[in-house]
Amino acid sequence: MENYSEELDGVFQALADPTRRAVLGRLGSGPASISDLAAPFAMALPSFMKHIRFLEDSGLIRTAKEGRVRTCSLERARFSVVEGWLSEQRAVWQARTDRLESLVLAREEFLRDQEKKEKDK
Amino acid sequence: MIQNFNPDLDLSISRIIRAPRAAIWHAWADKASFEQWWIPAPALCRVAAMDMRPGGAFETRMSENGGEFGPHLSACFLAVDEGSRIVFTNALTGGWRPAEQPFMTAVVTFSDHPEGTEYLAHVMHKSPDDRKMHDELGFFEGWGTVARQLAELVERRQ
Repeated sequence: MENYSEELDGVFQALADPTRRAVLGRLGSGPASISDLAAPFAMALPSFMKHIRFLEDSGLIRTAKEGRVRTCSLERARFSVVEGWLSEQRAVWQARTDRLESLVLAREEFLRDQEKKEKDK
Repeated sequence: MIQNFNPDLDLSISRIIRAPRAAIWHAWADKASFEQWWIPAPALCRVAAMDMRPGGAFETRMSENGGEFGPHLSACFLAVDEGSRIVFTNALTGGWRPAEQPFMTAVVTFSDHPEGTEYLAHVMHKSPDDRKMHDELGFFEGWGTVARQLAELVERRQ
């Protein structure tokens, strides 16, 4: 629960700024380079980079460098964190049930194979 | 046993698993199996205690990156009906000792189904009565709406 609060703090601080919201809005239509993202803003690049780093630290975007160009893209899964604590808990239990199911099914299949091998002997 | 479902505080996951009840029970009761599914990879899970009887300790520990294991869940079994039901809460720890930060009780039931087993997890959460939690919920409900709208905006642009 406490980790969850910290995560929320980061996400909400990231969303609290108009520049950062505009960047997220732009990234919604696909990945973009830092220079493309910075173009509409009347702000020095180092200041703009602070916003990018903030978004990256909050987990809302990820960046990757290829040659001289750094490209940013949206980390969609991150948005679910703000949809509410209960839906987060639901996702945890849903995924947990998925894993339980696949483990059980894999073991069942393994046992069936073993049985078949025994019979074939 | 579940008197009323509170949509604001409870969640319910139901799944038909194409395997016999005993197989699913084993995945719960066998520590080595349990460790494989309780926490998502790449994090690792270690069962520190799984004393499957009423009052028995149920404690899991987690390692994020293969390093040191830290606390994950510290709970107490309330009911254990072999092959059919497991109830635990983190409001208590082993031996019914009151816990520091309670927030949920889970009722997991296993019942026969023509296609295998119906697996049902019903998880009830604490009412956000106390001030801290209340403030936090109030805080993020407003923000949640803003963020949801933003996410929708972002999705639409695609």
